[in-house]
Amino acid sequence: MQFLDEDVHLMLRYRDGDPGAFISLYSRHKGPLYRYLLRHVRNAGAAADLFQEVWSRLIATRARYEPRAKFATFLFHIAHNCAMDFFRSNANARHSLHGNEADAHLNEAEAPEHLRPDRIAEFAEQRSALLAAMDALPREQREAFLLHEETGLTLEEIARVTDVPVETAKSRLRYAVRKLKNSLQTVTEAQSLTLRARTI
Amino acid sequence: MDSGDELDEYLHGDSALSRQYRGETALEPPHALDRAILRAARGTTVKSPCLAPLAFAASVLLSVAMVAAVILAPASTMRGSDTPRVTRVRLYSESADTRRPSEWLADIAALRRAGRLREAAVEMQRFHSVYPHYIVPSDD
Repeated sequence: MQFLDEDVHLMLRYRDGDPGAFISLYSRHKGPLYRYLLRHVRNAGAAADLFQEVWSRLIATRARYEPRAKFATFLFHIAHNCAMDFFRSNANARHSLHGNEADAHLNEAEAPEHLRPDRIAEFAEQRSALLAAMDALPREQREAFLLHEETGLTLEEIARVTDVPVETAKSRLRYAVRKLKNSLQTVTEAQSLTLRARTI
Repeated sequence: MDSGDELDEYLHGDSALSRQYRGETALEPPHALDRAILRAARGTTVKSPCLAPLAFAASVLLSVAMVAAVILAPASTMRGSDTPRVTRVRLYSESADTRRPSEWLADIAALRRAGRLREAAVEMQRFHSVYPHYIVPSDD
């Protein structure tokens, strides 16, 4: 089968009692999974808890594992569900922080806060600007971007992980890429303006 | 640029955006997490094999004591004190269930440090009932 990648074989070996196979799997995926959770929930303590929860679920249910997709799709589907549980349990706090921010960000005409000229100076470094722009993305768009960057999942696989139609996943990723590119471009322009002003 | 082209170009790989993001992503989980998870994967979540039977016996004893306390308490106390007792237990349970694992474990550690070992044991049992799959890091 096409999706029987090497990780699937490792997981099957772990299911059948080979702990060494788990070490290989863990080594390959721990970084991407941790960064996905950290950037997605934006809280180091919660990310560590969720990271444990994801692996714990995988370990606890390994006897029932049957390969139906790429291993990364399987692992990040667990992670997506754990993150959703986290967001649901923090729904009130989130709402008070963000309100209808997600809907507002779907409006392309509205400039995110980090793109306002008075905030650009705060993001002198492109990396800081990228992180700030990622934080400003609606949760769903940020997740689509993180899944693609951290795992290389295709649009179809991102759709499967997040339980949405492919067109929805595509739309989320498109918005995310556009906003992040715009934020980087804005910072680059601001930096070149600063540089030009210094040389005059 | 057309948004479709923009996305296609990004998905094609090696975009400036991806390079910028990946330059940022050296973050790895803490080693303590690695150790706890790898230990759990090997099926060695119990800290010391020789203490396992003792821990099991202690947890059974605590469970029996708690059930007995709940059943017997109304008969052995004045009727007027029944309601506050039951209410207090329910409220405590609700507040505990909303705690994140790391926060809850920190509370349990604080109980242990304060010498309140029985309460810590009860809390740990409640923790395991709410988070049955959570890998509790060892103290070592």
